[in-house]
Amino acid sequence: MPLMQSLSSLPPSSRAGVAVLATGGLCLVFTPVFPWLVVFPEAWSLPVSEWIGVSLTWLFELIKPAARMVSFVLEHPMTWINGGLATTPWQISIGAVTALGWYIGGWRMALLGFLGLGFVLASGYWIEGMNTLALVGVSVPLALVIGGLTGIVAYEFARVRNMIRTFLDVMQTVPTFAYLTPLLLLFGFGPVVGLIASAIYASPPVARNVLLGLQRVDPEIKEAAIMSGSTRMQQLFLVELPAAKRQIMIGVNQSLMAALSMVIIAAVIGGFDDIGWEVLLTMRKAQFGESLLAGLVIVVFAVLMDRMSARLIEEGARFDFRISMGIFAASVLAWLAGSEYLPGASEFALLDGVAERVDSGLGEFTAAQGARLDEIKNGAMFYGLLPLRIGLDEAVLPFTWGFQWDARMSALLLGAAMAVALVLAYRGRPLAGTGLVLAAGMLETGIANLPWPFVLAGASALGWVAGGRKLALYAFLMLAAVLISGLWERALLSLYLCGAAVFACAVAGGSIGLLCAISPVAWRVVRPVCDMLQTIPLFVFLIPVLMFFQIGEFSAFLAICFYAIVPMVRYTRHGLVETPAELLEAAQACGTTRWQILRDIRAPYAAPTILLGLNQTILYAFAMLVIAALIGTTGLGQSIYLALGQADVGLGISSGAAMAILALVADRLVQGFARSKREALGL
Amino acid sequence: MTLHESGAAKAAVACEGVWQVFGENAERALGDALGQNDGNAKAAASLLRERGLIAAVCDVDFEVGNGELFVIMGLSGSGKSTLLRCISNLIRATAGRIEIEGEDLRAAGGRRLIELRREKLGMVFQHFGLFPHMDVTENVAYPLRVKGVPARERRARADEVIRLVGLEGREGAYPRELSGGQRQRVGIARSLAVDPSIWFLDEPFSALDPLIRRQLQDEFLRIQARLKKSIVFITHDIAEALKLADRIAIMRDGEIVQIGTPAEIVLRPADDYVRGFSRDVAKGKHACVDSIMRPPGKDAPGDGDPGLRPDMTLDAALASCMSLYGAVPVRDDGGNVIGSVHPKDLVAALQVEDS
Repeated sequence: MPLMQSLSSLPPSSRAGVAVLATGGLCLVFTPVFPWLVVFPEAWSLPVSEWIGVSLTWLFELIKPAARMVSFVLEHPMTWINGGLATTPWQISIGAVTALGWYIGGWRMALLGFLGLGFVLASGYWIEGMNTLALVGVSVPLALVIGGLTGIVAYEFARVRNMIRTFLDVMQTVPTFAYLTPLLLLFGFGPVVGLIASAIYASPPVARNVLLGLQRVDPEIKEAAIMSGSTRMQQLFLVELPAAKRQIMIGVNQSLMAALSMVIIAAVIGGFDDIGWEVLLTMRKAQFGESLLAGLVIVVFAVLMDRMSARLIEEGARFDFRISMGIFAASVLAWLAGSEYLPGASEFALLDGVAERVDSGLGEFTAAQGARLDEIKNGAMFYGLLPLRIGLDEAVLPFTWGFQWDARMSALLLGAAMAVALVLAYRGRPLAGTGLVLAAGMLETGIANLPWPFVLAGASALGWVAGGRKLALYAFLMLAAVLISGLWERALLSLYLCGAAVFACAVAGGSIGLLCAISPVAWRVVRPVCDMLQTIPLFVFLIPVLMFFQIGEFSAFLAICFYAIVPMVRYTRHGLVETPAELLEAAQACGTTRWQILRDIRAPYAAPTILLGLNQTILYAFAMLVIAALIGTTGLGQSIYLALGQADVGLGISSGAAMAILALVADRLVQGFARSKREALGL
Repeated sequence: MTLHESGAAKAAVACEGVWQVFGENAERALGDALGQNDGNAKAAASLLRERGLIAAVCDVDFEVGNGELFVIMGLSGSGKSTLLRCISNLIRATAGRIEIEGEDLRAAGGRRLIELRREKLGMVFQHFGLFPHMDVTENVAYPLRVKGVPARERRARADEVIRLVGLEGREGAYPRELSGGQRQRVGIARSLAVDPSIWFLDEPFSALDPLIRRQLQDEFLRIQARLKKSIVFITHDIAEALKLADRIAIMRDGEIVQIGTPAEIVLRPADDYVRGFSRDVAKGKHACVDSIMRPPGKDAPGDGDPGLRPDMTLDAALASCMSLYGAVPVRDDGGNVIGSVHPKDLVAALQVEDS
């Protein structure tokens, strides 16, 4: 048959595209006849959530006494540190941080520490802030021990290494809220749950970096240690771990940030008078001025921890220790001399006026500009998000678009897409053509209404092109698991919101990255913003979007975008800038213009890096999706959040797992594409 | 030939039938391959390679005498570094027998290996392998530290070897603060800290500038003249091999192609591969009169006696025979005639082959 012949002459990627196209076409034709193509029948799905719930409850009953014991034991160091931090006079705390800042980073760090803690004091959230720090202070050492041991075990025993790696991957993709439900059941309400959750969440970066650091130690250094007659333990502790110090410190830095982020999130369960709780409380009361202030306290902590631990990573000059001691002594003196005249830590309320003014200003602003803000929001919803979610056929209504979408328009859209696709195919780009038709079809039906055979086929085809049969099977099985667990509908909703956010980030972030690659001035402006956005704990992103756009899907979308755009910007710029000088010189010697160099040399060379950035953006978007559930999203995030409220372990775990599966599949697919691109370039 | 036929004194290092094969089930695959080819190493190696395994070292035999400087020369990928790692047991050889002063290394347990390394073995690495978090003294004293030598004692010993390699004054410096040449001096000092009897050097000077390289080669010879270690020295540089070696083994594709003194390698290359190396070498500088001398009485005595000695280089000998056409006698230190050389043999030996 000539058709089969011409098909088999196509490259594999195009063949996969045609197969997906055929599946989609069949689904489109048969959906009216077989509605189960879109709505997976409940009778076919397995009650996975219930099974997980029942078996875990049973297991938890078994180990609860041990868990309660751990909880009891951990409560002590936390109370001590907490008491210590809260009762230490604020003058001395500020003095100590300033002194440390001086020692590791000179006057800049000292000033940063002084102003940062000064701000916390002035905001009146000192006690709450110290409570948060106490949680971090206990959970990070715990994470260091757990993560360090895991990393060492993974390094020492090659057999378990891949298993541990996969486990770490999963740990980092399972959304943070999903941890909380089982932990609540195990450890009971209270701050210890937050503590353990953040210790668990902060361990993987340590483990990963310890493993990476140990593996990266120069093989000759390891051999030199062996030839010096070291025992295995001497080699590990005297040579390899110290030689890997830098990488390990990067892990410590990441672990600190993760712990802080999680402590703030864990405030959702309440029971502890910390700064995350304060944000949540004021947010619920719509006191955005206070909420912003408390959020800024978190940001200050994050920036201080990040910058100071980052300074510690850098080897080299330390500053005069005597001046540090002097600063500290001065703070003690200030306390001795001034404690009677100065108010206690929580009595400061210097910034209350500011908060109130922000509140009233915001009220005035929304009153004056409310119509315009609504316009933006509704515009994005009606013309962007909604069609993407439920498809043009349902989203285009006379009420919003001014006309009704009908079968004729569908035919027109698909027909036009087909025509362009044929032209593209004729011009030798069949893949682009197939993609175009697929995109048109998806826009017509909407992501939430996609038939499941089409999604499975599409993911498998992508897997096949990106990484061969194994990856295709992986994508298929993973998604099939979500399908039969009865979470499919919610998974598609999550996929839609993430997809929309990732698409927006890719376009906007890619453009900003491109701009920064061309203009160093732009990068000088964008870079600190990126640094800042990456330091801020997820939770804080909710405050500004809520202030302007209230609860709803659009706010969630914006919050996700703000958080997830950073890697796209960074990787795009990095990829474009880091082209080897030799290639550029060779291109210049051929008489290429700047734009030609960008298009023909830099862009292809940067493609693998940009894909990795996209990958990060996807993972970030999934991570933020769950947090965004707090301000109104549908889908898996909402299920996880609900499960937390109802202490429903089964639903919490299964939704968390489904979310992790979506993230992992996306991760593998994009990584696969990045790898094949790199290989094609011979990197 | 078994290992100890060569004499009563045990060789410092002895290898017999050493194989290193990388890949899945290497040991069994090697056994199969050898069995199918009646023990023929070449055929077995090519069979292994066909099956996708990597035969890095194939059936290697050699001995290093006490106090001998044995150089293994080969291009990158020839398996020379892998071979050294087998001998030092950094990787376990797939098959064969490796003896250090008569002790079978492949049979030694982990505990015994550590002991051997603490007592007898020292190793220098191509990229120095210095511990980045330790200063010079700590690096040099590290082998003593893991051995449990008290701090004061190991400091004294470290100072001693640091002086030996000429690094006094830099004791407190960290590796990142040193130049390449200085770093390798630290590496050399560290490998000598426990006063090993056997010294492994893995391309120790390859990463250095030509000038520094020559300087360190000279110092290495000076140190060796004092310490008389038994040495296995790896290099890819034929000039370095000829300059340093008592004997040279030339490796290709995991096999040793030829073992011989520098003069033998230069004058009587075993095949075209070895000849390729020696082609670029000024032979007259490396070969001596004794390598082409014939026993006394074979040649009719000629008309002159320019006073040749057996340890004269060919260049020098030729210079003093410029105007002579008959055989000339070679005399030892006592003036006794021990053989003769014909000037035309001299010229023939120095001729560049045009194969």
